[in-house]
Amino acid sequence: MSVVNNIQEKTAMGPSNSRSVWQIQRDVIFALLLREIKTRFGKWRLGYAWVLLEPAMHIMLLATIFSLIGREFYPGVPTVLFILGGIAPFLFFSHSFSKGLAAVSSNRGLFNYRHLRPFDTVVSRVLLEFAIYLLSMFVLWFVLAWFGVRVAFGNFLLLIEVNILFFFFSLGLSLALCVVGERLPEFSKVLPLAVRPLYFISGVFFSLEQVPVEYHAYLAWNPLMHVIELTREGLFANYEGKFSNFEYFTFSSVGMLALGLLVYRAHWRDLVRSQ
Amino acid sequence: MIRLENLTKSYRTPHGRKILFRNVNAIFPEGKNIGILGYNGAGKSTLLRIIGGIDYPDSGHVVSDQRISWPLGLASGFQGSMTGRENVSFICGIHGIWRENKRKIMDQVQEFAEIGNYFDAPIKTYSSGMRSRLAFGLSIAVEFDVYLIDEVMSVGDVHFRRKCETVISEKRTSSSFIIVTHAMSVLKKNCDVGIYIGDGQVRVYHSIDKAIALYQAGVPDSKVSENNMPSALNV
Repeated sequence: MSVVNNIQEKTAMGPSNSRSVWQIQRDVIFALLLREIKTRFGKWRLGYAWVLLEPAMHIMLLATIFSLIGREFYPGVPTVLFILGGIAPFLFFSHSFSKGLAAVSSNRGLFNYRHLRPFDTVVSRVLLEFAIYLLSMFVLWFVLAWFGVRVAFGNFLLLIEVNILFFFFSLGLSLALCVVGERLPEFSKVLPLAVRPLYFISGVFFSLEQVPVEYHAYLAWNPLMHVIELTREGLFANYEGKFSNFEYFTFSSVGMLALGLLVYRAHWRDLVRSQ
Repeated sequence: MIRLENLTKSYRTPHGRKILFRNVNAIFPEGKNIGILGYNGAGKSTLLRIIGGIDYPDSGHVVSDQRISWPLGLASGFQGSMTGRENVSFICGIHGIWRENKRKIMDQVQEFAEIGNYFDAPIKTYSSGMRSRLAFGLSIAVEFDVYLIDEVMSVGDVHFRRKCETVISEKRTSSSFIIVTHAMSVLKKNCDVGIYIGDGQVRVYHSIDKAIALYQAGVPDSKVSENNMPSALNV
């Protein structure tokens, strides 16, 4: 007994030898999350309020423009809410995309600690973005409802399902991108340009029904469009995404996660290794 | 115990790959302090980082059941916009040190680094001396079985260097060290075992003097250079 105590005392001030793989993973992710939160929001005067202000400003800007031109996207859903349902998931996607690309280069110094590998920086960044996305979407929902902009809530279960899948979709994408960003630096210049057109073809500020029928078959390949349509279905009781396909999105999420994990597994040592 | 198994490491250069060492097998005796010698670019630091698990060989493994530190005094993991305290807290976190033990380490680091209230100021406002004191204080405050040292003793002023030496000799009772340096006096004073890297090989010698002798055999010492000098210059 005393021997055990002695060992524990001796190792108390250092990393414990008996930490399991999962404990190490948990410690690293948790420490990284705290650090990300501090560095991202700690330096501004408004600090943590910025989490909500960024998507809020984005949505308000778009909503104002479209309200001014008197556009109604979907009968029975206020323009502001319609855009909220599109822009919030899109911002999460686009943040995961850019953070994934830069995950290795902007954390290089951290890889001097052996437990901390690129995987951890990707996971913690996507987790944080995901939390910010959900938080901002729900806070804005309630703020808008407070001001009288409200519709009946849709399907909460669907919303949860879609977002769990969306998390794994973005995680897989970010893992693949962290390898691309480091191994093929040329691509990390070009790829962000690819996100911008996605903004226009993913239904952030239109519903697929408003697009001429002959293009539907092409646009329907875009998983991001399905996320956005499904999110709106989850949020608004009277919304029906005519083309949204839960099975297709499930399939693309699992596929994207598998791709990300495989690409990462094949290359992760090369991300850290001196060449 | 640390065991190197079939370790091969090469570098990409404009003229093809340069091999640092190939198929190295070695066992580092437990509890011994080890000095690594070799010329610039021989791969001393690379070997140290491979042992520490933060760089990877082309093939082969490092097998160890010990807790090995990150290279001592390393400041590159620090985030400039965070305070010293927050940085220390983060590094404790990834090593699974929370709550009370973390607080103890914070106090130790603050005391060692002699930075007082600057501990709560962003690191980017630190002088380079403060930064390296913080980094060194942190790496020594977290307990490991084996500490890696890469030329750290050469930074800082005399006061700091003396302090490092004191703290290292205290630590030697409970932990061992693997040291990379060009200062033979440091090696002689601190190390039991010598490792010489050169010609694509890693050789382990059970006395540091042997390794130093081998290292210096390649260095043109004063006698050799006198003999080689043109006679006209020989007064």
